[in-house]
Amino acid sequence: MAAPFSELERRVASGSLLTSAADLAVYSYDGALDRGRPEAVLIARSTEDVGAAISWCAARRVPFTARGAGTNLSGGCVPLRGGLVISLARLRRILSIDRDARVACVEPGVVNLELQKAAEPLGLFYAPDPASFRVSTIGGNAAENAGGPRCLKYGVTTNHVLAAEAVLPDGSLARFSLEDDGPELLSLLIGAEGTLGLLTKLWVRLTPLPEDVRTLLAGFPVLDAAVEAVSAVIAAGVLPRCLEAMDAATVASVEAGGGLGYLKDPAVLLIELDGPRADVEREAGIVESLCRGKGASAVRAARDPAERERLWEGRRGAYAALARLAPNVLVEDGVVPRDKLPEVVRRIQRIAAEHDVKAYLLFHAGDGNIHPNIAFDERDPEETARVKAAGRAMLQACVELGGSLSGEHGIGMDKRDAMAWLFTPETLSLFRRVKDALDPDHLANPGKIFPAPGGARPGPEFRRPAPAPPSAAAQYLVAAVRSAPPGVRFRIRGASTRWPDAAPDGAVELLTHGMDRILDLDRGNLTLTVEAGIPLRVLHDQLRGEKLHVRLPDAPGTLGGLLAARPWPGAREDLLGMRLLLSNGDVVELGGKVVKNVAGYDLSRLVLGSWGTLGLILDATYKLYAAPVAVPSSVPAVRPPAVWSPWARRVRRAFDPDGRLNPQLS
Amino acid sequence: MAETLGRLRTALGDRGDYDAAAQCSRCGYCEQACPTYVATGREAQSPRGRAQIVRLMLEGKLDDPAAAEEALSTCLLCGACQTVCYAKVPVPDLALEGRRMLRGKPHWLVRRASRLLIEDPRRLAAFLKIGYFFKRLGLSWLSAPLLRLAGLPVLASMDEHVREAPRRLLDDELPALRAAGEGDAWLYFAPCGPRSLFPRVGAATWRALTALRGPGRFLDNACCGLLAHNYGELEDARTLARRNIERAEAAGEAEAVGDCSSCVAFLKTYPQMFLGDADAAWRERAERFAARVKDVVEVYGSCAAGLPAAASAGTVSYHDSCRALNGQGLRDEPRRAARAAAGGTFVEMPDADVCCGGAGAFAFTHEELSDEILRRKAGGAVSIGARTVLTSSTSCLIQLARGFRKYYPDATVLHLSEYVARALDGRRGA
Repeated sequence: MAAPFSELERRVASGSLLTSAADLAVYSYDGALDRGRPEAVLIARSTEDVGAAISWCAARRVPFTARGAGTNLSGGCVPLRGGLVISLARLRRILSIDRDARVACVEPGVVNLELQKAAEPLGLFYAPDPASFRVSTIGGNAAENAGGPRCLKYGVTTNHVLAAEAVLPDGSLARFSLEDDGPELLSLLIGAEGTLGLLTKLWVRLTPLPEDVRTLLAGFPVLDAAVEAVSAVIAAGVLPRCLEAMDAATVASVEAGGGLGYLKDPAVLLIELDGPRADVEREAGIVESLCRGKGASAVRAARDPAERERLWEGRRGAYAALARLAPNVLVEDGVVPRDKLPEVVRRIQRIAAEHDVKAYLLFHAGDGNIHPNIAFDERDPEETARVKAAGRAMLQACVELGGSLSGEHGIGMDKRDAMAWLFTPETLSLFRRVKDALDPDHLANPGKIFPAPGGARPGPEFRRPAPAPPSAAAQYLVAAVRSAPPGVRFRIRGASTRWPDAAPDGAVELLTHGMDRILDLDRGNLTLTVEAGIPLRVLHDQLRGEKLHVRLPDAPGTLGGLLAARPWPGAREDLLGMRLLLSNGDVVELGGKVVKNVAGYDLSRLVLGSWGTLGLILDATYKLYAAPVAVPSSVPAVRPPAVWSPWARRVRRAFDPDGRLNPQLS
Repeated sequence: MAETLGRLRTALGDRGDYDAAAQCSRCGYCEQACPTYVATGREAQSPRGRAQIVRLMLEGKLDDPAAAEEALSTCLLCGACQTVCYAKVPVPDLALEGRRMLRGKPHWLVRRASRLLIEDPRRLAAFLKIGYFFKRLGLSWLSAPLLRLAGLPVLASMDEHVREAPRRLLDDELPALRAAGEGDAWLYFAPCGPRSLFPRVGAATWRALTALRGPGRFLDNACCGLLAHNYGELEDARTLARRNIERAEAAGEAEAVGDCSSCVAFLKTYPQMFLGDADAAWRERAERFAARVKDVVEVYGSCAAGLPAAASAGTVSYHDSCRALNGQGLRDEPRRAARAAAGGTFVEMPDADVCCGGAGAFAFTHEELSDEILRRKAGGAVSIGARTVLTSSTSCLIQLARGFRKYYPDATVLHLSEYVARALDGRRGA
């Protein structure tokens, strides 16, 4: 054992540090192709082990990479720069389940299925259900912000984590909660792929089991018809818990692994409804007639739980079933606005033909999340190169159509270069500053998420879609910040509903009330991009005219004020993206128009509760609903936090190094 | 390095070791099915880790092959990973191939001695009787060195776990059983466990088969060769296989029924030992043989409707022998029989399908890990208040008897044959 690690060995549980050649070899991979060999592996037995190990790593500047079940599909668990792998697989106790509060407190190594099993007898379930849920861990799910079929209705992991205890890259232990004042640091850690610290304990929300669940299978003669049916179902105000699509090739490979009873049509939808029995009954009728209206050749309901489970086994095993065709499967994870699915499928098929590969298509169709799977043999370098090139081109197509690089698998090392296609240099630079603020020595899972210098570039024909042009009012504010002499401070002011205090002496007021336009109302995709200065009541009025609904309070004050002050925690749930004006004049685009997006840090949610100290919110993108949703008509009064946590201060400095925004809040 | 198979019979066709190992895409969906991964949380003790280690050995990329020893030797060979794997990566066979690559050739004297004993059941019987005699006298320390000397270190270490020391072996009981009438309805393949350690099981199987199917006869088989296949030399296993195939061919067309699921599962995989080009003729004979082999639990499953209920003695449950469940895909058959014979007292126990940690010699070579797995197993039986747990292979009988002695003395383990025979005897008596 190399000398320094013997030093670490004395600080952790005996026998928990592994350094044999075989151990190092098997911790050099995850579910993807990339490899990186650690120098040692710690099978942590306690949070103290994790803290001791990270403190030691920080003192010695040894990189460390967390690992749960190691099922990551983007190289997220691969120790790219060597160092220490910290396995959390043995921290697997469910510490408590509060049935009334519907909260479970778990260690990070708890397997998703084990939590489901523990919750079910209490009439509850844990909503995120990645295909790997039988083996993957809650900690890993949180680090990757995992989704799964059910997230169409219930949201992804970030919508279900209420608080977490984390060991930060300097070895200190901290607890973050949605109830904390100040920026939502918890949201920053969820989906950060272990690059900002390790989660050692999580409080997650459990959901009551629905009274009834019904699973329908519909076969279509063409994929476009299936996608149209998906849009029609959602536009009709029916929100299934899952809306999955598969092409014929995928269905055939699933059926080859054992007869599961899928339809043999060129495109198959798996639709699952849940809720009170009467609603499910009614919605099943609507779904069936809409599917038939779009040309479904057959619509069939699973007769019993066993048949339902078989259908789902087939869906979950679709990726693994391809493993029967060849040793390796590249599984891409692009996401596009839902109505762009037919277009992206056409492009993907063209790309596959051009690269002489066969793509098996599997979608979370309701979310616009598409998984083209390509079976190949990594032992054939020429084939591997073709497959990787095809995968890159497919992602590029998703970005061009206004989508994103990853709906649920993460960026890891696999897609880090593609980050430069999706995000502007200004946004990437902000991501880097956040990383530097929390992990100045880049010890936590280094080399991930950020493009490597000289990384792969998109082809010459690549065109990033242009964002909606900002209104004149927004342009005016951007110009005001950019032209202000250094040293000038700003006070951001909306409707003064929540924070009427006067601006500090000499500060320039940035008034948002002119930014009150809906920039984009996308009926096909059911998303809304609206400027932040719009009063919430005006927004609701306008949407009522369109017969559309948004899950935001119908209350006094502006949208920007609601987001910045966060008097209503629900504001985070349907937030898809925002544009933020930084104190240096940069405009950064966070998130986008897709309902599932795990590319980069979740900075839009971090901004919630930051009281304008991170940036001025220009506009925000929200999910829309075709049917009315319950929203509050008032929100509690709130005041800016009196004390900012050390981590909030660090994040603030990353966004606004000179403290120019709302400087009186300190 | 010991001889390896080189080619494996996988669900995706016959493949070389390397192609079989490369079939693992590293998705990791097998992990929670693996008792050693669940117990240790170590990737090297997961099916994916083991498949990757064997692959690296074949690629010559493992700096220190000896480091693979722990990972491969801890594999229970239970095959639960293969059951959940979509590509059906044959991890148990790969682990065995890896072990063979790491293992040196045994001393010729040891090898000769073990062959002499294994090949001739009568010689082995005489030898074991001496051992059991010492054991009953409390002189295990005398028998263990004898077994080691004879090249049976596995049996020597097993001695400490086993309470059985029968005076009479199955071969001593057979004349009486045969005297009651022989016929052509079945051939009894007597595995070494029921034959030499649990003769009560073999006798029960004979009685039950006679009652359910009419009279059959004894195959007078040799050891199935599983021990040689897993711990010794492949050529020895092939020799035994050829002998058994020949005897079955000479004995007519009836099904060959065995009552140790480990052995029966192995008999069904005989063709895999003859995948070499020169072995084509034996491969065909092995395939015909394998098609005739039945696990006795399959017979009971098919007769379940006609089984009477045994006299009730508390809750009855069933523990899956891995080689019945994962090796032969027998999940429902034994349960149907157990439910019928238990009347209304059958309760499914949690994690019935998880390996008990017996796994041949595993319990003796990796005591701590095996014990951890065993404790969980006993916990499953406790949770339903089981009084009788039924199973179908020798190593489960040994391991569960030990586990219940230690963690749950209220429960007893029986072979399904014993329970079925008891139910049938009760009917005859009534």
